[in-house]
Amino acid sequence: MIDFVFPLFGRFHPILVHLPIGILLFGVVLVFLSKKRETAHLQSIRLAFLLGGLAGLLSSISGFLQYQYEGFAWDSVQFHFILGLTTTAASFWLYYELRKNAAFPDHFRLKSSALVVLLMFTGHLGGNITHGETYLIEPLPTGIQELLGYSNEEAKGLVLPVQGWEELAYFEQVVQPILNQNCKSCHNPRNKKGDLDLSSYETLLTGGEDGSILTGGNSEASALFSRLILPKDDEDHMPPKEKRQLQKEEIELIKAWIDLGGKTDSKLGDADIHAELLEPFFEKVEIPFYPNVSVAPLSEEQLKELKANGFFAELVEKESSWLMVSCVNFPQFSESDWAKLKIASQQIAFLDLSGTQVTDQILDSIQTLPNLTVLKLNQTAISGEKLGELQSISNLKNLYLNQTQVTLEQLRPLQNHPSLSKVFVFDSPASSEESNASFSFVLEKGNYQLPPLPTDTIVY
Amino acid sequence: MKNLEKLLSELQVQKLQTQTRRHFLMDCVSKVGGLALAPLLFGCEIGKNGQAKDGLNLSERDLNPLAPLPPPFAGKAKSIIYLHMAGAPSQLELFDFKPELAKLHDQDCPESLLEGRKFAFIRGVPKMLGPQAKFNQHGQSGAWVSDYLPHFSKVVDEVAFLKAMHTDQFNHGPAQLFMQTGSPRLGRPSLGSWVTYGLGTINQNLPGFVVLTSGGKTPDAGKSVWGSGFLPSVYQGVQCRSKGDPVLYLEDPSGMSRDLKKKVISAINQANQEDFESIGDPEILARINQFEMAYRMQIEVPEVMNINDEPDYIHQLYGTQPGEESFANNCLLARKLVEKGVRVVQLYDWGWDTHGTDKDGSIDMGLRNKCRKIDRPMSALLLDLKQRGLLEDTLVVWGGEFGRTPMQENREGKVQGFKGRDHHVDAFTMWVAGGGVKKGASYGITDDFGFSGIDERTSVHDLHATLLHLMGFDHEKFTYDFQGRPFRLTDVEGELIRKIIA
Ligand code: HEC
Repeated sequence: MIDFVFPLFGRFHPILVHLPIGILLFGVVLVFLSKKRETAHLQSIRLAFLLGGLAGLLSSISGFLQYQYEGFAWDSVQFHFILGLTTTAASFWLYYELRKNAAFPDHFRLKSSALVVLLMFTGHLGGNITHGETYLIEPLPTGIQELLGYSNEEAKGLVLPVQGWEELAYFEQVVQPILNQNCKSCHNPRNKKGDLDLSSYETLLTGGEDGSILTGGNSEASALFSRLILPKDDEDHMPPKEKRQLQKEEIELIKAWIDLGGKTDSKLGDADIHAELLEPFFEKVEIPFYPNVSVAPLSEEQLKELKANGFFAELVEKESSWLMVSCVNFPQFSESDWAKLKIASQQIAFLDLSGTQVTDQILDSIQTLPNLTVLKLNQTAISGEKLGELQSISNLKNLYLNQTQVTLEQLRPLQNHPSLSKVFVFDSPASSEESNASFSFVLEKGNYQLPPLPTDTIVY
Repeated sequence: MKNLEKLLSELQVQKLQTQTRRHFLMDCVSKVGGLALAPLLFGCEIGKNGQAKDGLNLSERDLNPLAPLPPPFAGKAKSIIYLHMAGAPSQLELFDFKPELAKLHDQDCPESLLEGRKFAFIRGVPKMLGPQAKFNQHGQSGAWVSDYLPHFSKVVDEVAFLKAMHTDQFNHGPAQLFMQTGSPRLGRPSLGSWVTYGLGTINQNLPGFVVLTSGGKTPDAGKSVWGSGFLPSVYQGVQCRSKGDPVLYLEDPSGMSRDLKKKVISAINQANQEDFESIGDPEILARINQFEMAYRMQIEVPEVMNINDEPDYIHQLYGTQPGEESFANNCLLARKLVEKGVRVVQLYDWGWDTHGTDKDGSIDMGLRNKCRKIDRPMSALLLDLKQRGLLEDTLVVWGGEFGRTPMQENREGKVQGFKGRDHHVDAFTMWVAGGGVKKGASYGITDDFGFSGIDERTSVHDLHATLLHLMGFDHEKFTYDFQGRPFRLTDVEGELIRKIIA
């Protein structure tokens, strides 16, 4: 026969498989619609199982041809294939039972249900082959995914510990994660582009269409490396240009591994690698800027109320309870207005009272904001005598006291504050004080100058 | 109430006087047709969630398009100051030190650099032009800065350099548009508009996005570089002048007292309010809001735009002269505006196009003079923001729309009278500083002549993606639906430049 017929027929598999599913389900529905001794549908049911069986046979044949011609690995299709054949056989058998008797055979509902289960399971395995095993998992919320034992490790790519990276297995823990993230979608047992599978060391050694892709000790001669450094527009460049591209550090790591011999027993520390190269992969512990406790967010009405009272009030980010409140359009704000802020005392994380009428007394109220992280009191009559009260706000990080009457002495009580990291005192008595006192936080005094230079006046 | 009645009756009379029978007939024709068309055109009176707005369920944004919104995630920066050097400064005289280029000075350009390339003016084989500045390393970070920017050399540890920027437009207009709107063609919203649209404004008495220009001309691309494109026009940049009235027509006309103005506005607003109650179109409420904002701005804008009351040491720091239109004054204003809660301030300084066709456009003289005018002010701006703690959450961006060639410009195949460089898209330097930027970083490496980036190249889209990230947006998710599809500032490109993020 002409060469193309088999592969072409194989490609009809994805369409053909729907026939047995539809026809057999229809038959089973009729079985359940019929009463025990009722035979009205019997003819139709027979026909359904016969046609279902034949359709199953066609599907199995086309499926086998597709496996033969499209480079699927037996491992990945075997269960689907065996179950497909079983389903076909089961339909024929049920048909045979129906032919034999004038009425429903014993336990026929049970048998048909078993057929449905078989059918569904076969279909599901087939779906997994075409769409990937995580096809139904992907749309689920990450929480449920993790519950089901799926994690998104691969998408994350390479992550290395800051301490002890030298001891990592170079291939398993460094190279493979890079391949998983960037190459595996096209080079895996199910989908072997260029007849290459990069999902494990063994398959990598097998190579692809053009043979071996790894020459230990010679990265230039290894397609695994040389394809990565081809210009992006080159047809042979990997990964293809529309995909995420490897970072140069990732390429560097692969090269170093090949030059080291390209074996599984080497350690990352064996290669001549500087920690600098690994910098992008080091696990970053993100310390959130705002407090790491959970507080119920303000209701929409409460937020509206704050705004109606003249404050700028907005969440610091969409899904958050933390609030930024500013009096930029409320310069007449004074101690007596504090009551208006009380509804948000748990949520206020950023408070800007710059340019308002507040005095030192305001600190009595401010210290009731447990989650305050940034406080701005610029251009106010604050003299600083009560600053020590801020000691009790254990989240305070940045404190702005520019253009106030604060002196260095008054900052003293803030020494060793648990979280305070920056204090700004530009244009205050503190900023012009000469002192070599050191503080536990960064003290920004300002007063920067750019002394005149002779070149300032030279016109060319 | 009396005012309102007067106004309404006057309006009524005027309307009647101009209305004729023909108008009636015409109305009948056009409006009946319109009625039929209305349901076919969606998007006019349909709100975000597909329901018609009924005036009852209005969001704050419907009433006030500049109302603040929370960023998708807590970005480090809350405002941006963007310093655009229109005309494109030479990276080879300022930041990208190329000793190898000096060796080739006055020799023919190697063929390999010209192959398959197009330049704006260079024709044939030009001569190479060695660096005309003296370079030194500065600060803890050891950043290379030339003697053209002696003051800036002292603040390099605050900034992160992008030394292998590239673009794909070699003419000023399209390149400026690309740099500011993410597209070389007209019609896209500018970076500032996107940010104002996404975050609203902090100070309700000031515009959210202010533009200041210096250098005598506005950018070649015109005002579209701060335009709002397909976003509602309230998000476009408001150009303020540093000399004379900051905003034209904001001042009351002579003879019109503020009280009278207040009365006029409240009468108009009452009329609008009644209109709203009968029709229920939220646009009317937005209009009422705009009138009120304009009224409030009349006080606040002249106040914040006045630099006379700044102390002497601040004037010395910036080198400002009140009353001029200068980059220095604009830098000081930028600080004041950001301090007052303006989201985006954009400075355009014109005059950086140094082709060598005249003295002002020469690399060794004109460029030096230009540099002198920005060196102190931009360094002062960084220091002033720093000492006030504003650099914690303000982004500062500096750059032109492209770079300049390592070759001497030779338009019409002739040697120019002065030393000059042509437009160049393959490599140029920009810097960013402030909110969330890694201090003292340098990203990107160019080849020995500064012709192309050979490592860590960054595109305009990459820069935009990074700036949006620092403001709290995921550039891939920050979209606006227009003509049936979502649009992004970064189109379909842009990768975060992680190495300059702190
Ligand atoms: C978008 C799909 C895609 C991704 C992702 C991809 N490749 Fe490929 N790869 C292909 C295709 C298609 C071919 C076959 C065509 C060819 O030879 O260029 C191929 C071929 C190859 C070959 C040659 C195999 C042979 O022997 O012919 C190598 C080596 C290779 N890829 C390595 C990689 C590496 C390493 C990565 C990850 C960094 C990667 N690929 C990522 C699609 C992909």
